[in-house]
Amino acid sequence: MSKAGYKVPESQPETVREKLYLPELIKGLAVTTRHFMRNLFGDRDTNTEILERRGNLMSTVSYPDEKKPYAVGYRGLHRLVPRDDGKPRCVACYMCATACPAQCIYIEAGEYPTPEAGADAESAVIEKYPVKFIIDELRCVVCGLCVEACPKDAIRMDTGTHAPPAYERPGFLWGIDRLLTGPAVSHPSDPWNKRESSAQPAHGHKEAHMRIAQAPSPVAITHFEKKD
Amino acid sequence: MSKRGIGMTAAMVAIVGVFFGFSVLAYMAAAWLPVKMMNWVPGHPEQSLSPAWAGVISSAANFLLIMLVAVMIIATFLTLAERKWSAFMQDRVGPNRARIAGINRPLAGIPHMLSDIIKMLTKEGFVPDEADFWIYKLAPIINFAPIFCLFAIVPVGPRILAGTTMDGRAYHAGLQVSHADFGLLYLFALASIAVYGTVLAGWASSNKFAMMGGVRATSQMISYEVALGLSLVGMMCVANTMRLDFMVDTQAAYIWTANFALLGHTFDFGLPAWGIFLQPVGFVLFFTAAFAETKRAPFDLPEGESEVIGYFVEYAGMGFGLFMITEFVEVVVLSAITAAIFFGGYHLPFGEQWLHGVLDPSGHSLWGELLWGSALATAFWVKVMLLCYVQLAVRWSFPRFRYDQIQRLGWQMLLPAGLINVFVSAALVLWDPSLKALTVVGLVEIAAILALIPRPKKDEAPAPSLSGHGAVAAHGGGH
Repeated sequence: MSKAGYKVPESQPETVREKLYLPELIKGLAVTTRHFMRNLFGDRDTNTEILERRGNLMSTVSYPDEKKPYAVGYRGLHRLVPRDDGKPRCVACYMCATACPAQCIYIEAGEYPTPEAGADAESAVIEKYPVKFIIDELRCVVCGLCVEACPKDAIRMDTGTHAPPAYERPGFLWGIDRLLTGPAVSHPSDPWNKRESSAQPAHGHKEAHMRIAQAPSPVAITHFEKKD
Repeated sequence: MSKRGIGMTAAMVAIVGVFFGFSVLAYMAAAWLPVKMMNWVPGHPEQSLSPAWAGVISSAANFLLIMLVAVMIIATFLTLAERKWSAFMQDRVGPNRARIAGINRPLAGIPHMLSDIIKMLTKEGFVPDEADFWIYKLAPIINFAPIFCLFAIVPVGPRILAGTTMDGRAYHAGLQVSHADFGLLYLFALASIAVYGTVLAGWASSNKFAMMGGVRATSQMISYEVALGLSLVGMMCVANTMRLDFMVDTQAAYIWTANFALLGHTFDFGLPAWGIFLQPVGFVLFFTAAFAETKRAPFDLPEGESEVIGYFVEYAGMGFGLFMITEFVEVVVLSAITAAIFFGGYHLPFGEQWLHGVLDPSGHSLWGELLWGSALATAFWVKVMLLCYVQLAVRWSFPRFRYDQIQRLGWQMLLPAGLINVFVSAALVLWDPSLKALTVVGLVEIAAILALIPRPKKDEAPAPSLSGHGAVAAHGGGH
């Protein structure tokens, strides 16, 4: 084996230094004691930006007082996204409940009253809404398939936190009251943003095009002066 | 220095101050109290304590204050220190969540001492169905009692002049519970009795694995008792005694002196005749054998703790708490005995006579004697704490020995080394009774070990390359 230039370590100590044990023991103690002294007398980095902390002096993050921020795109606790009027964007289509591999979403659908019966503007163009929307966070496997399946951007997992602990199992059943959080979201493709007919463009997108045509071009146009 | 560094240094100075205050208190109880009781009614010996009882009062005060208060408090502190210091060694923080008295600050984890005690006391201490009830309950006690009593022979502070008795004789007293003649034999005897606790614990659990753990523990402990005894014979030859206090007094002398004058008194400086310089091999052997006796890592295979079931698997609550506190009391006791035998006990490495001259110039000042004695006792406690740190560092630095390695180390390495040490030390002491030859040999041994510590450069193997292995394997394959 030594022909290859690589010394295979023997299982028994060879040299006097190895047989004595003590020199290596003292070296080991020196390493440990050095870490001990550094941690005992040194200041640890207590930057509130935990990701900006440097050094390995007792780099423990004292959860829950300090929390390491999760990465962008972290799938965490669910939330139901509200509309501008505060009601959930969800139309109770059951796509998330069907897609969920853990079958942890329970939805009961209800019908919005017709416009004649006095529904407000945004609810008038939607037929259904969830009467009950319960997610069992304990069963959820945090796969994100419900977010991918939802056609209305009504459920997201972008709360940046995970399901908090509870003492008993019913504490993990999250209903609409706990799930409906976050800023209101309104997409241009939403039914209540659609125009009455195709006669005139009410689309904000088209309007932006018209604004660009009227404004001076941002591209610099070189004017050549005639020189005599 | 960083803010934390200043804070830590201040905390350490405060702790040394606490030791000093405690030593002052201990001396007042052990030295001044009997004198006061002997002179209770001046002029009437029959209404005061008779001098024959003074020793009993002194011993009782020492027992209460040193063993029951100091040793137990240090052992309890070590249960926390083990977790905190191991955390510092591993670059983490350690326990800091327990809160006390409404103060919402970690307080360096000190409330965890109390929370651990409460946890141990309030856990259900069930007895297995087929266990032998009385032996099951008795085993932790048999384990704890001898270890706790081991501290009786340890000299914590020097004998100081405490006062005069009614018939005009001077009375001296020191911080030592028992001044018995047998000294170190007491240590060996009680260490042997402690073996019973473990084997009975394993047997009374009516659990085959616990039984095997108990047998493992017993076998290991009795293997290392021989090495324990042999390693100390060298020091007994040097000090010509078996009593720990006489051994400590032998270490007060200087092998080579280089005195100079300071503040009007002679500052004694030189190489003190400590056991570590005279018997370094003996120190290493004793320390190792002591680790194996206490079943602390790296010899803690009987306990197992992460890979194999130990002998106290069926113990819960305070029964297990007694085993745990025994282990920490053993750490303290062994540190104290090592400090007494090998590190000069309560003697300062230099300047001790100078301090005595400064504090007590006339030789009769009671307060001067008390402060000098307390300073020396504080030095002893500091040595004990340093050795406790070394024991904890050894636990958290070294991997665990396998059982056959433990037995081989005990019988084939420590025992012959101990025998050779005895012969060599005895020969050197006979040849040169002033101990200079022995010191020279001791210093040479220490220098040799220190010189071997840096790893020699030619031992560094070149980094193995994958092609190297492939080439070797392909020699026959015809790549």
